[in-house]
Amino acid sequence: MPRSLPLAWIRPAFWLPLAVLLAIFGGLWQWGAHAMPYFLPPLPSVFSALSGHLSYYAHNAGITLGEAVIGLGLAFVVAFALAVLMSEAPVARRAVLPVAVVLNVTPLVAIAPPLVVAFGFGPAPKIIITSLICFFPILINTTAGLRSVPVPMLQVYQTMKASRLELLVHLRVPSALPYLFAALRIVAPLSIIGAVVAELSASGSVGGLGSVISVASSMNELAVVYAAIFVLAVMGVLLMLVITLAERQALRWHES
Amino acid sequence: MPTAAIALSSVRKVYGDGPAATVALDGVDLAIAAGRFVSLIGPSGCGKSTLLRLVAGLEPADRGTVAVHGVTPDEACAAKLIGFVPQAPALLPWLSVLRNVTLPQKINRGAARQRARIEGLAARDSGPPDMRELLRKVGLGDALEKLPSQLSGGMRQRAAIVRAFGLRPDVLLMDEPFSALDEFTRESLQDQLLELWGEGSTTVLFVTHNIAEAVRLSDTVVVMAAGPGRIVESVDIGLPRPRGQQVFAERGFHEYEDLIREKLRGAWRSPDAA
Repeated sequence: MPRSLPLAWIRPAFWLPLAVLLAIFGGLWQWGAHAMPYFLPPLPSVFSALSGHLSYYAHNAGITLGEAVIGLGLAFVVAFALAVLMSEAPVARRAVLPVAVVLNVTPLVAIAPPLVVAFGFGPAPKIIITSLICFFPILINTTAGLRSVPVPMLQVYQTMKASRLELLVHLRVPSALPYLFAALRIVAPLSIIGAVVAELSASGSVGGLGSVISVASSMNELAVVYAAIFVLAVMGVLLMLVITLAERQALRWHES
Repeated sequence: MPTAAIALSSVRKVYGDGPAATVALDGVDLAIAAGRFVSLIGPSGCGKSTLLRLVAGLEPADRGTVAVHGVTPDEACAAKLIGFVPQAPALLPWLSVLRNVTLPQKINRGAARQRARIEGLAARDSGPPDMRELLRKVGLGDALEKLPSQLSGGMRQRAAIVRAFGLRPDVLLMDEPFSALDEFTRESLQDQLLELWGEGSTTVLFVTHNIAEAVRLSDTVVVMAAGPGRIVESVDIGLPRPRGQQVFAERGFHEYEDLIREKLRGAWRSPDAA
């Protein structure tokens, strides 16, 4: 039960397994860092790299998050519009779907280098990559959602001669919401991956955690690399948290 | 003679093509006067639900004509003459009960103009009915703000019936609306349906496979047979109204039940004889 979660965390039975796992993991890490100093930085040095330059990481995290969120938003708008078009017009579905499938099986991160050549070191190639990666799951899920209205429900409103717009607004879009949130859960981590990969391939770019990682690795500053990765992980968790909260708000009627 | 509320003549409906084709309905003639309560009863595959969908304009007939108050089912839908209650309540799960039953008023706002063009319809006082009052009448007064998932099956179907009556339909089409409910819930919903129906001039076409239900509710029970789906006989039910639950104990009621059971049995046999 999600509502009892905060209380449940007081009980050791809930947090102890995780704490034990983290302790084992930390111990192994420290042992590894000690045995192979060129592979892993010691945890305290990662911590001090992070805490000593918080504003630096926050600034770069902001850039990466901005690219990820704008790319995701763009993908959302385009994919949603196309999904509506596809659910209303089978012709559009036959035209768009094969293209979308090809787009989906193509490893899109591979177009990052040419995009950087084309658009330079600014945010544009990062946003484009992110949208391309996020596009397909949103399109497919939303299309499925718009078509998920049960037949009897449609029939009731067809006998009132509801217009296609009325059916879309009152029946199809609300039915698609659970599918849409499922898509968001899939693409939120993908959006960060897209932004970071684009930053990595645009070495010398203006900022972002991907650039931080790329620059620091080339100078062998392992502590900085792992501090940036840690910040990326936190960012991913926060993004999922926002989506989960929005979902809980919007889908109170839904069972799951 | 006034225009019938529902009129079918020589209707044929076929599903599929070639050798795999099934004749769902053939040679169906039916005329129902306004304000009557008519049940369609018959074995599965006799086309009773198909007939209902034709009248609802959800499917076209392959041959023959279907008319609702003298216009096509499509025009009747455009004028919101028709209320439809499917077997599953089909409420919108994201809307409260109250908003579920009031949503139809926001749909197809041009319907009143369409309705005014159709001749011979009962005049309507202005304004939509008080949906809160209707919900209270069927015992959903405490559930106005609840979501459908928080209601029992019987309560959901009540809300679906109120939604249909909220349109103040000239013709109410019901497709086995109580078949998923237990006996007690079913009987209490029959009470409420009769009460709501008794207040207006609505014509009801009610599909069921329950003989007792058909006899209790109807002015006329139309018996259908399968292979191909057709009408075998119409039985007028002469029991006085109101028909409360005491009707189940009356002898006349059981005589009608037996009569219809006999007709159904005959309908069941006839394809073999042919």
